[in-house]
Amino acid sequence: MKHLFSLHKIIVSLLFVFLSSSAIRSNPFTIRAGAGERGTGLACIMRSGFWSSFSNQSLLANNRSFSAGVNYENRFGIPELGTCTAAVIYPAGKSSIGIIYSHFGYPEFRRNMGGISCGMSLSGNISAGVQVDYFSENLPGEYDNIRVLTFEAGAVFDLSEKVTAAIHLFNPVPNSIRRSTVPSTLTAGAGIDLSKTLFAGAEAEMSTKEKLVIRTGFEYEAANKFWIRGGFSTENSSFSFGLGYLMKSLKIDLGFSTHDRLGVTSSVSLIYIIR
Amino acid sequence: MKSISVNNMTYSRFFADLSQTFAPSAVKRCLLFIKEKLIVPFAFLLLNYSCFCQVANNAEIISNIAEDLAAEDSDPEAAAIYLEYLNELSENPVKINQADENDLSRLFFLSDFQVRSLADYIKRNGNIVSIYEIAAIPGFDQHAAEMMLPFISLKENATGSSDTLSVRSTLLTNFILKPGERDTSSLGSPLKILSKYRISAGRFSAGFTTEKDAGEKFFTGSPPLPEFFSAYTSYSGKGLIRRVILGDFSLSFGAGTCINTAMRTGIQLTAPGFMTVRDNLKPYTSTDENNFFRGAAADLAIKKTELIVFYSRNRIDATPELSPDSTILFISSIYKTGLHNTSSLLLKKDLLTETVYGMSLSYNFRFMRIGASWSETRLSIPLHINADDPESIYDFEGAGNRLFSINYNTLAGRILFYGEMSLNNFSNSALVNGAMLRPSDRLTINVLWRKYSPGFTALNGKGPGNSSLSSGEQGITGNFSFEAAKHLFISAGCDVTHYSWLKYRCSFPSMSRKDGIVLRYLASEKFSFEFSYDYRYSMINDQNTSGVAGIKRSESSTFKWLFRYSPEENSSFATRISYKTVYPVWSSGMLLLQDINYRFTRIPLTLWFRYCLFSTGSWDSRLYTYENDLLYSFSIPALSGEGSRSYIMVKWDIGHLAELRIKYGLTSIIQKHGIENFDDELKLQVRFWF
Repeated sequence: MKHLFSLHKIIVSLLFVFLSSSAIRSNPFTIRAGAGERGTGLACIMRSGFWSSFSNQSLLANNRSFSAGVNYENRFGIPELGTCTAAVIYPAGKSSIGIIYSHFGYPEFRRNMGGISCGMSLSGNISAGVQVDYFSENLPGEYDNIRVLTFEAGAVFDLSEKVTAAIHLFNPVPNSIRRSTVPSTLTAGAGIDLSKTLFAGAEAEMSTKEKLVIRTGFEYEAANKFWIRGGFSTENSSFSFGLGYLMKSLKIDLGFSTHDRLGVTSSVSLIYIIR
Repeated sequence: MKSISVNNMTYSRFFADLSQTFAPSAVKRCLLFIKEKLIVPFAFLLLNYSCFCQVANNAEIISNIAEDLAAEDSDPEAAAIYLEYLNELSENPVKINQADENDLSRLFFLSDFQVRSLADYIKRNGNIVSIYEIAAIPGFDQHAAEMMLPFISLKENATGSSDTLSVRSTLLTNFILKPGERDTSSLGSPLKILSKYRISAGRFSAGFTTEKDAGEKFFTGSPPLPEFFSAYTSYSGKGLIRRVILGDFSLSFGAGTCINTAMRTGIQLTAPGFMTVRDNLKPYTSTDENNFFRGAAADLAIKKTELIVFYSRNRIDATPELSPDSTILFISSIYKTGLHNTSSLLLKKDLLTETVYGMSLSYNFRFMRIGASWSETRLSIPLHINADDPESIYDFEGAGNRLFSINYNTLAGRILFYGEMSLNNFSNSALVNGAMLRPSDRLTINVLWRKYSPGFTALNGKGPGNSSLSSGEQGITGNFSFEAAKHLFISAGCDVTHYSWLKYRCSFPSMSRKDGIVLRYLASEKFSFEFSYDYRYSMINDQNTSGVAGIKRSESSTFKWLFRYSPEENSSFATRISYKTVYPVWSSGMLLLQDINYRFTRIPLTLWFRYCLFSTGSWDSRLYTYENDLLYSFSIPALSGEGSRSYIMVKWDIGHLAELRIKYGLTSIIQKHGIENFDDELKLQVRFWF
């Protein structure tokens, strides 16, 4: 009976590893938080927002408010596949500091991530950012637990008043040198303000051992402080949809994305602008 | 800076419009006025800014061609020679304000049209003061002018005349080490060493090149000499004697079907300037150990008549067939890789003495140039083919080869016709004919047709063609370059080639086809976008059938997107996506790469960084990526499997005396069970001027 229980745990854990890695993003360690970002199909490395610490730290340079937020994301209606995320942004001089925490999974299989990031403006049209990440992954049975310290960095360029381009590198050091198993990811994208109320962006992402993924998304301010979002990702042919509303200092976002076989991922986030 | 750039673009377009609208005299007056009153003050400001951004843009054109050449399995040295030519040009740029047509033709990527147009313009209007002035010359556009930028100098000669004997020397040494590679069977150290020295004094120049590949001994033979050593002395003049070279030299006559030991760029679908018919004699400074002449050559000119004569006696590598008592019976093949890192390969070194002599005579009429050439090749040991192999029954046999050719190019209005006919031992022929048409200054159209008899052989030649030997090849290529709208350039081409006899992996007469299109949008000096599509079709053996090989098609399609952004004068960022599909293997390959190039302003350092992730289903869907490298070294790795490729290179300018470059590259491949293997390389270059 004990063996059966172990076998069950292993199968369930492997299923979770699979779901956490391939169902949503090609690299499970490149966590993207935020219901707003989820609504735009995660095409967000060029779009400044509260959750930029998770996508492109250079965008923090544009975020000059002391703010805090939480996000909960549920994949395919399975509670064990939930991700809780929290972040704080603090403007410090010419740069902004971000502190983030993320928890995925359940007690037998969980992945925690903490990070501290900094984004700053280098010139009138270039910003750069860097983040130090710490990952802790706990697996049941004889599987090795993972403790990894790595980093990621990004840059954003204002090509014109309306066009923005961005690049982001996650864990660019080959693992054979660092003796870890965390994949590397390179992302590049561009976005354009088509009008005062409509933004559209696209990005390409590639991770070690994975295929190229293209994501596109838009955000439309349908009414004052009310946003509608949509997006598409070639990974699992995923469509996304989202809503956002700002009430004085509190912003609420909802986001949903589909998976061609597994169902819907839903996400909700609350962001409070302290000052 | 922004307003200046806009002004500059306006001038550039204004020039182009003027030159198409008004009579030449009016154009000349306007150009002179604008040049003196407007451009000169701006030119120096602009040039400083533009250089860095546009050099980055040039990399697209250079890298496209280099990657195409690297992908050609049949001619592995072509990419190296092409890049060496570019290195030499950037080291010794053409002083266009002092250059005649012959000097300008060193810019090999320009068409004959453009060379003549540029020479005429300088003769009529005086010195060019800005790169933007070039863009206004008929036959040029912004794109062509920017491509020239790293390889030209607008400066006057500081000494005023090339007759002044001011001595200048350059010494360059490269060290390349792959720490992960340990081959115990190699004779020498794993270090690759290259040294080049050049000294010039007025019209005289001399130099030498030594090289040792990884695994080779540095000194071989008796008396011990460097593994590869090449040297020359050269005199360049403007009168009767245009050039005399003693030592090692490279040479090409006309279209190159008979004699061409210089650059060979194959068939480039989207680079029309590469098709040309021109004689070219220059000192040999490359490291291809078996494709150059050693002896003496002279280029003489009397008025409109030009004569090149040469004599060469060089020892080249070959594979011998031995009798039971180890005497050499004959040569079964010429060994071309130049690698001698094992005892058996060392036996092939310098085994064959090749004696070549010949001449080329050409006459320039007003609108036409006609040339004729003759050459003889004598081998010290005869070459014999494998009689059992039907693929090689037309291959060259014997100890001597005689070649005759006639070539022409003529300008009729806006059409340049050119061609060459060659005969090999009076039995086999090669025919090349082409035309370049410029219906307007925004459009260039090229057509090139060639036909090589199956037995046509030129041991030191390489005319236009797809395969390494070209024999048995008949094909037609057409392409155009078009400035479709403001800052939007489209180039496209198609090549269809028939092979009348068997070739490698193809046991039947076959055909191949190449299509390509490149779309470039130069939105501003800071931002550019490029999209390209490349299609290849060929016929190969179907290994699944028994008995006589069946026929199957092999197709590949490659898409490439490139974004380049130069936010400041000292930085540039480039992002590239490539996607390739291969049929019938049904394999696909893709990559995403990011380049960052930054020149520090307060310290004399320049930094290049690349990070690339790739994933390909098989070797057939491999992708090539051109890399910035040391001078006279090149890297265009074929990325296959799943992994990453990254490098960092630093250049340190040590005053005006020396330069140091260090490059570290790392390729990481993930194997089946998640095991990650990596290959790294360390390159170091020191360059001195004194």
